Amino acid sequence: MKILIIEDEKMLAEDIASYLAKQNYLCELVGDYHQAIEKIDCFEYDCILLDLTLPGGDGISILCELKRQNKQDGVVIISAKDSLDDKIRGLELGADDYLAKPFHLPELAARIFSVIRRKQFNNSNVIQQNELQIDILSKEVKVNDTELSLTKTEFDLLIYFIGNKNRVIPKTSLAEHLSGDYANMMESHDFIYAHIKNLKKKLTNAGCDNYLKTIYGTGYKWQI
Amino acid sequence: MKRLLNRIITGFVWYSLIVLIASIPAYYYLVDSIWLNELDENNLIIAERTTHELNKPGLNESDLEKIILVWNKVQPGANIKPVLYRISNRPDSIYTILKENKYPGHIEKDRFRVLSRYFHINGHPYELIVETNVEESEETILAIAVVAFIFFMILISGFLLLNKYHSKHVWKPLKNSLQKLKQFNLNNSNEITFDKTNIIEFHELDTALTKLISHTVSVYKTQKAFIENASHELQTPLAIIQAKLDLLLQQQDVTQKQYEIIEEINNTVARIVRINKSLLLLAKLDNAQFDTKEPVSFVSVINHTIAQLKEYFEGRGLSVNCNFECDKLLPGNKMLTEILVGNLLLNAIKYSTVGEVIIITLQDEYLTINNPGTKPLDANTIFSRFYKPSHNNSGAGIGLSLVKEIARFHQWEIEYSFRQPLHVFKLIF
Repeated sequence: MKILIIEDEKMLAEDIASYLAKQNYLCELVGDYHQAIEKIDCFEYDCILLDLTLPGGDGISILCELKRQNKQDGVVIISAKDSLDDKIRGLELGADDYLAKPFHLPELAARIFSVIRRKQFNNSNVIQQNELQIDILSKEVKVNDTELSLTKTEFDLLIYFIGNKNRVIPKTSLAEHLSGDYANMMESHDFIYAHIKNLKKKLTNAGCDNYLKTIYGTGYKWQI
Repeated sequence: MKRLLNRIITGFVWYSLIVLIASIPAYYYLVDSIWLNELDENNLIIAERTTHELNKPGLNESDLEKIILVWNKVQPGANIKPVLYRISNRPDSIYTILKENKYPGHIEKDRFRVLSRYFHINGHPYELIVETNVEESEETILAIAVVAFIFFMILISGFLLLNKYHSKHVWKPLKNSLQKLKQFNLNNSNEITFDKTNIIEFHELDTALTKLISHTVSVYKTQKAFIENASHELQTPLAIIQAKLDLLLQQQDVTQKQYEIIEEINNTVARIVRINKSLLLLAKLDNAQFDTKEPVSFVSVINHTIAQLKEYFEGRGLSVNCNFECDKLLPGNKMLTEILVGNLLLNAIKYSTVGEVIIITLQDEYLTINNPGTKPLDANTIFSRFYKPSHNNSGAGIGLSLVKEIARFHQWEIEYSFRQPLHVFKLIF
């Protein structure tokens, strides 16, 4: 999977690349508008991470360029401008998702995962992992052909873990994923524990291996 | 409050009234003295002529007596009578007397101007009295007052007509400028162009206003740019810290202790992020950088927010009791309204204990969010920035001040009261 990171803050771009590299993504980094346009002209990417404020030009015009060339690359906007106008405009111009800075890397990875899934597996969007089978469109989860009934939150968490295989996910990231900005305002995120416990129980009861590991007491990892 | 023109005209009316009243005695003295002067001249002429005629040569004593007798009979205004004392070089005397009218049917006194002259006929001394009727002073004053009043009325109606004309035509450019100023909205930032006027004052006003507005707009734009820059400048380093922490967690040899430290840093960064976002939102609210014209349905906003906070309600074992008497559709900003409702609900969640019920009531005039409590909070400071009711909470004390600012931005009112055993937050539309 090829990912283009268009971000002028080199350190942040490298950190993103470093996190994604272990998820079998191949990342290319560009730091300004002109380099970005060159890359887009010559190559196809599975997903493009796009910062809106760039030296040499506006991120929005890169979106227009992609549209003009009729490219099918998935686009996730990562912007420090958390303004509704930008978000709506970006999505209207063909971006697939919008993530305001600062964000957790697992959250970004999960978003990239769903964008690529949505773009490339339009008809049969099924993830198969050993005995576990997840149909993203119909939200059906099967273990060895036995169907599991998961709540919306549990399904959401499962996809999040699949998008962040072998990574340590702290509880705070999960809380932020589930309740957005409100998570920052609450001190306790104990509800996460209950959801994880239920998800684990449902999976193991259906005969699934225990991929979901608890680490350091309050962190989690989908180990495979 | 009075209209400027009406205020000016009131002054004019009073001033002209005073001047006209003061003019009445002045006119009276002027007219009276001219009149008396003319009558004195007239009396003098009569006296001259009479003495001259009577001193014609060829009149003997008996003729003279007869003539004087007849004269006195037919000329009631001029009387000649012989005097018995010496009159050599006695000067004329002029005076005014009031006499009753001798003829029946008249009761008022008449005023007369009198000239008395001593003279000699054939060496005998005589006194000639010439009387002429003068207009009484009351009548003169009355006549002048009537004229003054008529002129006063003419002046007033003239003022009113001119006033009407002025307010319609002369003040038109001012009214146009005012209309444009009223419609001006800094948030839209389109500058005003005033109509051309050939009145110096209005032209100066328009120029000054144009200057002021363009200055304000430019300051506003600079501030807007500053806010966006501040946001960008702070969010990016925060994003880097967050990314570094996420990467650090992935290291193979992180110990339990180190993991806990990283999580604590994570939580602290989250707090900085939240404060930064709230401050930016407050700054944007202060600068009125939001449009408030989209219709916002309170029922859908409340339901949406409850759904988002579902985990926290369940996590704390709280239940929500919604009483929607009607759906309230108000022009406003949906995102801001969600933040408002969200912050109120979060506040209720934070200060409730397990098993309690949060009551949301939506009526036509207000929205209330109630949660059980034990003692009242300080209603004066609860909405101020960085207010913290206790030391043992991690809140920045900014959530409720955001609620207040958002309410004010929409011209709603937020009130806090404590009605045993409930904290009541009331949003009045």
